[in-house]
Amino acid sequence: MRYQNATAYRFLTPYLLIFAIFWVWPIISSFMISFQATRTVPWRFAPTFNWGRLIGDPAFFNALKNTLLILVIQVPVMISLAIVMAVLLNSPLLKARALYRFAFFAPVVVGEVAYSAVFRLMFNLDFGIINKLLAGVGLVKIDWFSNVTPAMALIMIAVTWRWAGYNAIILLAGLQSIPEDVYEAATLDRVSKVKQFFYITLPLLKPVIVFCAVLSIIGTMQLFTEPFLITERGGPGGGTETLGLLLYRQGFRSLNFGYASAVAYTMAGLAITITLVQLWLTREPK
Amino acid sequence: MSSLSQRRLGRSLLLHLFLTPLAVIWLFPLWMMIVFSTMPDNGIFSPGIELLPHDNFLANFHNLQRDTDFVGAIGISVSVAVTYTVLSVLLTSMAGWALARYHFVGKGFVVAIILGTITLPYAVVLIPQFIMVARDFQLANTWVALIVPPLFNSLGVLFMRQAFSMMPHDLFDAARVEGVKEWRIFLFVALPLARPMLAALAIILFLASWNNYLWPLLINSQPGAMTAPVALGTLIGLTKVSWGGLMVGAVMLTVPMLVVFVLLQRHFIAGIAAGAVK
Amino acid sequence: MAAVTLTNVIKRFGVYEIIHGANIDIADGEFVVFVGPSGCGKSTLLRMIAGLEDISGGEIAIGGKVMNDVEPADRGIAMVFQSYALYPHMTVGQNLSFGLRMTGNPKEDTDRRVKRASEILRISELMARRPKQLSGGQRQRVAIGRAIVREPQVFLFDEPLSNLDAELRVQMRVEISRLHKELGTTMIYVTHDQTEAMTLADRIVVLRGGHVEQIGRPLDLYDNPDNQFVAGFVGSPKMNFIKGRVVGRNTRSVTVELVGEEKARIIQPLAGAVPETGAKVIVGVRPEHFGNAGEGDADLTVGIDVVEHLGGTSFIYARTAHGEDLVIQRDAAKVPETSEITVSIRKSYLFDENGQRLR
Repeated sequence: MRYQNATAYRFLTPYLLIFAIFWVWPIISSFMISFQATRTVPWRFAPTFNWGRLIGDPAFFNALKNTLLILVIQVPVMISLAIVMAVLLNSPLLKARALYRFAFFAPVVVGEVAYSAVFRLMFNLDFGIINKLLAGVGLVKIDWFSNVTPAMALIMIAVTWRWAGYNAIILLAGLQSIPEDVYEAATLDRVSKVKQFFYITLPLLKPVIVFCAVLSIIGTMQLFTEPFLITERGGPGGGTETLGLLLYRQGFRSLNFGYASAVAYTMAGLAITITLVQLWLTREPK
Repeated sequence: MSSLSQRRLGRSLLLHLFLTPLAVIWLFPLWMMIVFSTMPDNGIFSPGIELLPHDNFLANFHNLQRDTDFVGAIGISVSVAVTYTVLSVLLTSMAGWALARYHFVGKGFVVAIILGTITLPYAVVLIPQFIMVARDFQLANTWVALIVPPLFNSLGVLFMRQAFSMMPHDLFDAARVEGVKEWRIFLFVALPLARPMLAALAIILFLASWNNYLWPLLINSQPGAMTAPVALGTLIGLTKVSWGGLMVGAVMLTVPMLVVFVLLQRHFIAGIAAGAVK
Repeated sequence: MAAVTLTNVIKRFGVYEIIHGANIDIADGEFVVFVGPSGCGKSTLLRMIAGLEDISGGEIAIGGKVMNDVEPADRGIAMVFQSYALYPHMTVGQNLSFGLRMTGNPKEDTDRRVKRASEILRISELMARRPKQLSGGQRQRVAIGRAIVREPQVFLFDEPLSNLDAELRVQMRVEISRLHKELGTTMIYVTHDQTEAMTLADRIVVLRGGHVEQIGRPLDLYDNPDNQFVAGFVGSPKMNFIKGRVVGRNTRSVTVELVGEEKARIIQPLAGAVPETGAKVIVGVRPEHFGNAGEGDADLTVGIDVVEHLGGTSFIYARTAHGEDLVIQRDAAKVPETSEITVSIRKSYLFDENGQRLR
């Protein structure tokens, strides 16, 4: 083993340079901005200005509540669904596998804007296909955009549709790395398929599930486009406003960078805390 | 028929009975996107249930182009995504190569910070990035603003590191003994061997750039500098807008990617699954 | 062409020292084989000569020039790897010329060298193929060809034959020998196979646990091993080791009784120090050094477990009354049908308890 510092850093420099300019510095800068009053010229250091406002701001707590609510309901539902998809797609009994894979994986390539537009049309009160179908089978139409609960449900449905297949791809790769003979041995031991799933598949898949959960939590924590475009800037009346949306409004509509940075750091703190708790809860027994 | 194959048949039937409706539901929004894009606006907003395509696509396209210069925006999106992909693949594979091939001071630290950024929300860097690019560098509404800041990505580097370290290192040592310079070993031995991995990486990066919304929305908000998703996004929520045209835009953003997905499914899936296979 | 000198060469990985000061002199044009069990440090030593591993201490010189801090490419060496390390995306021709092309060697000269190498190795008709389309032996030739193209002062081979089947291995062994005669270049060859070492080498370096155990010509190692390890490593089947005890001594010789065999006594002349009476020793006897009863120093009656007939000769796997396993080589015609055989020890080696040769 030879140390080749010069050569190594020659290959790394462009990457590290981008990293330093567009990540390292902003991480520090964001932290510092959160302690400044940024709507005066020049900015002035005021440690409690933004953070003080944050802990007393009902808009912040509304966004926090909505974000956590989506997180707690949507992420587990989506991961469970993704596990079911992956396990069933992996079944040797499945015919026309390519077709099913296409169906579940296709949303992965669909952009947020495109599918937000489609979901808005589909869930339109009077002319949306969903309400027409509901009415067709004798159910009442739902006003998806004017009531908080349906609006939140709509956001969760949209995000789940977009990301379940993505997670299923990762989980499927994990499933395919479990050796076949483990299942053959279990079958010979008369372990039922259902028990095989709970006692073999799930434990062996755990690291991959944790990985998916962490990525999903971080993603949902920053949820922005769906409430921005589908439910029209977090409507109705802030009912679907998320932390991501609050940050956008504060930072880029009101140009209140200090307060937006405080929101950003709250998001990061939450994401990292939840990730660490998750990793700790699912840690490998020593 | 033996009871064993009967049981298998029963299971198989159950499997398909469950999975088929789910697949139909999952494809439904994409199908409706195509249907909507072919319907006149008064057809979209009519009480009947329409599930089959009509013939109004071209008229809708003209409406879209009237509402915003979507063709121009697509042009920007394609150029930016291609440039971004080339640069990012190069940058990422160079860094991955350094981490896979060399021992150097600070390696553990570099790997640790790359891993660390996976768990860090992008929101944290968003505001300073914006201030820096828009105010300090005065680069708002330029291609550079769209391409350069998103060049950093952590999963890609880890993916390429994995790809290079799985290659037999004797190959590189052989070239080294022959006096081949390291950057030539990288270009002419390592990169050609990593072609499938590079393809997977390139597809994922292209898709990310193509669909990127928040950053282009903030930094390139001027008409004429917008990417296609941003241009389309400005139409959503306007009161007087052609929804048929909007759906044409959605189709133009989505269908090419679906075709790429079908054609290069293997690379696609490899790229996404890379995170799971350590 | 060049001599290679290793002076007190040390290799450490972190706190672990794995080469403990190797001193090896390799003459210009010599074929030297590093041999030893896996983990003995032979490959590490070779990679240090190549410049692929740092030298933690001591000095490596090639052609009189200290190479410790010289890049691999500038050491005048070429290396053949165990895995062949052929570039899978290039044809044979491109594989041969890659290094020269990349370092800006003039095209005519590159072509000349490639042509010469392909003629020497008889691979001219394979030039357009890719490594995947070649057999193991052909790949091996291309790998060697790539080394020849460099026209090096020293060839380094890292277990080049271990991926080949037995028959090809013999064939390539002869080929490499022929190559050495033809080129006359210094060659350093690493293997764990003592047969390869014996057949190829001008001189053998036996390594164990990062120590040089002995350096010598193949037959010298065979006839005159310095210690029990070398004695056991060189020669096939292995030398037998039987426990013994000193029962008598004078200044010039020692009398050893084999443990459990009161009648089997060996008198061995010694030039050096003579061990004390009662000292435990080890008696080494090669399978081919057992004679008929009464022919040698001591007679030994052993029970026969298994006989392997190889045609001309046979190997008798036997057990002494004391329970020690022995291998005895005999002419096929002289293997008895009985379950016992009495043999004599015609020639033996004495080792002290620590395995050092007594002579």
